[in-house]
Order: sequence, then C-alpha cells, then structure tokens
Amino acid sequence: MTELILIFISTLLINNLVLSYFLGICPFLGVSGKIESAFGMGMAVTFVMTLATSISWLIYHLILVKFNLLFLQLVIFILVIASLVQMVEMFIRKFSSSLYQSLGIYLPLITTNCAILGAAIFMVARKYTFVEGVVFGFSGGLGFSLVLLVMAGIREELDYADIPKVFKGTPITLITAGLLALIFMGFSGLFSNL
Amino acid sequence: MIITAVLTLGLIGFTFAVLLAFLSKKLKVETDPKVDQVNEILPNINCGACGFSGCNPFAEAVVKEGKLFNGCLPGGSQINEEIAKILGITATKSKVEKIVVCRCQAEVGEKKISTTYKGPKTCKASHIVGGAIDCTWGCLGFGDCVKVCPTGALVLKNKRIEVIFDKCIGCGNCVTECPRDLFEYAPFKEKMKLCYVACSNNEKVLGVKAVCSRGCIGCTLCTKVEDSPYEMKGNLSYVNYPEAKNHQSLDAGKNKCPTKCILDLNV
Repeated sequence: MTELILIFISTLLINNLVLSYFLGICPFLGVSGKIESAFGMGMAVTFVMTLATSISWLIYHLILVKFNLLFLQLVIFILVIASLVQMVEMFIRKFSSSLYQSLGIYLPLITTNCAILGAAIFMVARKYTFVEGVVFGFSGGLGFSLVLLVMAGIREELDYADIPKVFKGTPITLITAGLLALIFMGFSGLFSNL
Repeated sequence: MIITAVLTLGLIGFTFAVLLAFLSKKLKVETDPKVDQVNEILPNINCGACGFSGCNPFAEAVVKEGKLFNGCLPGGSQINEEIAKILGITATKSKVEKIVVCRCQAEVGEKKISTTYKGPKTCKASHIVGGAIDCTWGCLGFGDCVKVCPTGALVLKNKRIEVIFDKCIGCGNCVTECPRDLFEYAPFKEKMKLCYVACSNNEKVLGVKAVCSRGCIGCTLCTKVEDSPYEMKGNLSYVNYPEAKNHQSLDAGKNKCPTKCILDLNV
C-alpha cells in the first residue's frame, strides 16, 4: 500500500510527466489557453492513460514477454493507444453526447500524445505490477491535468497583465512553463528523508 | 522469430481492427443528413445572434424542431430561404434587419483624460474603477467589443470605435459586451441614410462640457426642426427610428447640432 501511495505522489508531483520528463508539451502549450478546455483535455488524458497503461501491461506481460518479442513493444503500444482512443471516442459519442461535445475534439489529439506512450514505456521499464501500473497511469494523467490547469489559470490571468510587447504570446508562455517546472523541482525534496 | 513477430503483430492488429469495425457498427450514432446540409449553408461564424451557442447547435435545433426560430441574422433572407427549402417549410419574413451604432464617437483630445490608468487594459476592468477617461458615460477605448465582433466590423482608431456598416450583421455581441451600454440598434433601411446621436452622456450641459467637447449637451435644438424624428430622454437626444420618414428631417436636426455629435450612418 505504501508503495502505491509513493508511486501516486511521486508521479503526480515529483516526477511529473510534463514538467520533469517534458512529455506531452504539445497539448500543455496548445490547450492551456482556457481553464474550461484544459479541464476537458486533462480528464480525457487521465481516462485514456489509465486505460492504456492497464491494457499495455496485459499485452506486454501476457503476449510479448511470453513469446520473447520485447522489441515489438513500441509498435504494439502505439497500436493499443490509437485503437483505445478510437473506442473510447465511439463509446462517449454513443452514450453521452454532452461529454462528447466537451471532450470530443481532444480525443483525436490524445492518439499521438507522447505522454501516454511515455507512461506505458516507463511502466514496463520500471517493472511495475499490474496494480502499480494502473495507479501509475492514473496519477500520471492526474499530474498532467494538474499542470495543465495551473498553466491555464496563469495564462488566463496573463491576458490582463501588462507585459512587454516582445514577450507577448508564446515567449511569456514558455517562460511561465519554465518557472513552473522550476517550482515543481521543489517537490523533489519531499521524500529525501524517507 | 520473424514469423512469430509478424503473427503476433498481425493478430493483435487484426483483433483491434475487428473490434473497432464491430463497435463502429454497433455504436453508430444516427445523424440527420439535413443537419449537415443546413450546416453547410450557414456562415459558420458562430456569432450567436440566433439565440443558440453557435451554428451547429442552431442547425440541430432547426432540423429537430422543424422551424426557423429567429432565423440566421448574418445569413440574411437568402440563406434562411435555403434552409427553409431543406426543411420543406416556407421562410417567415425575417425580423427587421438591423445594425449597431456606437453612441460615443469622441476621439482622444475631444474626450478629456486627466488621470493615468495603469490597470488591466480592458473596458470592463477600467469601468469598475471609474474608467480611463473623465466622462463616466463614454467609450473607454480598450476595444472589448472589437474582440467579440465575429465579422470584424468594429475598428478601434484613436480610442474611438468605428463601425464598418457593411460588415455589421447586428448579432448584438457588442451590445452585451460593452460595460457602458454604448451600442444601440439602428434599423437598416436600404437607400436611406440614417443619423444617430453619438453620445451617451446624460449629464446637463456643464457636466458634459467639463469632460468632452463632442457630447450631447441636451440643447433640444434637433427636436425643434420640422417633422423632427429626434426626441429627448432626460438630457440626451435619441433618434426615433420608426418616425424617421425622410432624410431631410434627420439632416436638418443634424445640422442644428452645436457640438456636431449627430452623425451620418454611412450606408
């Protein structure tokens, strides 16, 4: 249990996928303009990441390890993620059209999101058990959402700030992202005494 | 080795393909082809003038209910007739087409600015603290309305909002956005020039003169011409558009204005 909590907190804050591994930077900068859309994207990523890590774990350990085909891992993971996203999209569209309207446009973006592929690869590289893998995927998604929301909140305020002309737009966003990453580095002291 | 690899990858890919094909059949969402047809006709600028959140919700509602509601304002009568044709109904006559006018046309220099405003550069924010200009009624000149205009009909020049009448579709986004309620609807009648009073300051003469050289001072001169379509509400003149029968009476009132704050609508 302690192990699971450790994985959860470390993935959420210390080894945050976006701010310390620089995965999923594209949606991090692209969808963080508004809190509303950031929340939608965050929820979609969390959902798909949890699902993707669990299915990839099963396929990796039950098929790839058994037949000694570890070199296929990358191809298979991409295949799994892409199909999963498609399936999730169909399900949402069928059963909740309002959720589809808020998440719908973000789902195809997730298909090629490197944060999800990264989570799947990290999971097998760290030799997690199935439950650990699922917790890892879930907390990775949550960490992504957290950072996305924080960034969106800052960017909404930035719209009203009086910033020099040359820094407007992307430059100030990148600077903000850098400062945010720096702040998250502070969490690395969280477990030093354990 | 190669065979197992190919087989495994092929099998997994095949499984997912079958699953996806099966699900796409099973979970197919029926969409009315009419919605797509209506969507194609609509201008797709999502202005919201029809009362729906955008063009797509409007198209869905129109097809579902089988009526046009208020119709598509920017589309004009032609597009509404086409939509009606798809639905198999006759288009009801759309409401009077209208555009907006901005009831403050004073430039920097005409409206006095005696404070330095350093807050967020939006009208809403500066309105809360009393504004970036001395006049408490006039245009603050940060262009909140420019941002919400779907057709780019509003232009900010020298802290003054210019309405490009050809582009304005009367969606009313600026009317709700302006914290000082400066925008007023004017019925758009072809071939007839209209005038409007470009001031919202409801103070008496001294109050207006103290903050702006172009304000309506409530002198009532424009209401005294023959057949005058102008009327006073408090200390401010308004054009009563249904009463405006011809351009002569409008023009006469306009020429009487001592502060030149009655302007032509350049149709």
